[in-house]
Amino acid sequence: MPVIIDGTNGITQAGEFNSDSSFGFKNRIINGAMVISQRNGTSSVTPASGDYTLDRWQVSLSQSSKLTVQQDAGAVTPPAGFNDYLGVTSSSAYSITSSDLFLLNQPIEGFNCADFNWGTANAKTITVSFWVRSSLTGTFGGVINNHNGSRSYPFSYTILSANTWEYETITIAGDTSGTWQTGNTGALIIRFGLGVGSTYSGTAGSWSGSTFYSATGATSVVGTNGATWYITGVQLEVGSTATSFDYRSYGTELALCQRYYYRIFPAATSRILAPIGTTQSATQTSNNLYFPVTMRTRPTAVEVTGTASDYSIAFVVSNTVCSAVPTFSSSTTDAVGTLNAYVASGLTAGQPATLLSNSSAGYLGWSAEL
Amino acid sequence: MIYKLLTKIPPFFDQIVARIDDDGLCRLTCTAQNPEFQTHIKAGAELLDADGNVMTDASAYIASLP
Repeated sequence: MPVIIDGTNGITQAGEFNSDSSFGFKNRIINGAMVISQRNGTSSVTPASGDYTLDRWQVSLSQSSKLTVQQDAGAVTPPAGFNDYLGVTSSSAYSITSSDLFLLNQPIEGFNCADFNWGTANAKTITVSFWVRSSLTGTFGGVINNHNGSRSYPFSYTILSANTWEYETITIAGDTSGTWQTGNTGALIIRFGLGVGSTYSGTAGSWSGSTFYSATGATSVVGTNGATWYITGVQLEVGSTATSFDYRSYGTELALCQRYYYRIFPAATSRILAPIGTTQSATQTSNNLYFPVTMRTRPTAVEVTGTASDYSIAFVVSNTVCSAVPTFSSSTTDAVGTLNAYVASGLTAGQPATLLSNSSAGYLGWSAEL
Repeated sequence: MIYKLLTKIPPFFDQIVARIDDDGLCRLTCTAQNPEFQTHIKAGAELLDADGNVMTDASAYIASLP
């Protein structure tokens, strides 16, 4: 890469500049270092298909209860330069059928990869890199899909030594075919296979118009009881060379995640959850909160603990424990959420009211995931 | 899990649906446009009306929504 220094133009360079320095949003993966876990913290969960585990990392499962997911599972030392990882542990020795699939996914919003120009003759090459560690060895697989699975690029990587962090890189020529979204909907999905049947497995290293979720011949993690598969440092960038990981500040990474999911979780009693509210009747309030960042789209649901007594209403000078869990009311924009809260009696319509946590468990969760 | 339509209440009047988990607790309420709700109904999840009666054609109800 020629760099020219002269008295007229200053410093100029020709060709692609792709170095250890990072320029803006180099890594299109959000939470690639697995540092954000709003939903589950460091707890182990047995996810249902479609659940998000660590922020932005979703599972697709054709069978339930075959694996667990946990931030920093097994408490091994992460690779140098990382503090956290996502750990998958197999819960049984399940023999996959031809149509089974067990996947860890990250869908990428169209706004964040529109510059790839995929689906055109100017499609850019990308490189995926990550650190992986497993109790199993052999060939493992994954795929890049478009939003509806009509385009697939299966890839494979090899783990040589059990229980050892290994660095993998995969370079993928951009897809000149298919439809790739460029707005606020899902455009590109990277999936890591944890056990995928033959129906959904394709030849690694080329684009296909079939729906594949992994590479033919890949190892099944769910096939061995207690098998582990850990990953961190996931990066997806433009260019044909993997560069150093794009470290972002914790606050930046959290804000990027909150575009898709926001949980307000004070972990204490009598802390504000939704500060702006009015009483609608003797038993019900309507409360609003501003999201910390503009969400991808208007949330259509609110998550709560399931226990009414985890919530209370501050009204005039006293707190009243809720008689039912707060419920979704509306999100009139992608910046404000509105919910209803309920007490048995004692409110006066038209007065201000604030929704509080009434235990260390009370939270509100708002999703705008892809 | 099952879903139950909630009675419409002020100040907004969107149709809100409660998800009742297998342990009987409600951990999520949503609009009928919520993708997870629609996926589950299409997959056969039971939908109750506001009075607690099973809606026999939940998918048709979803399809009728604006």
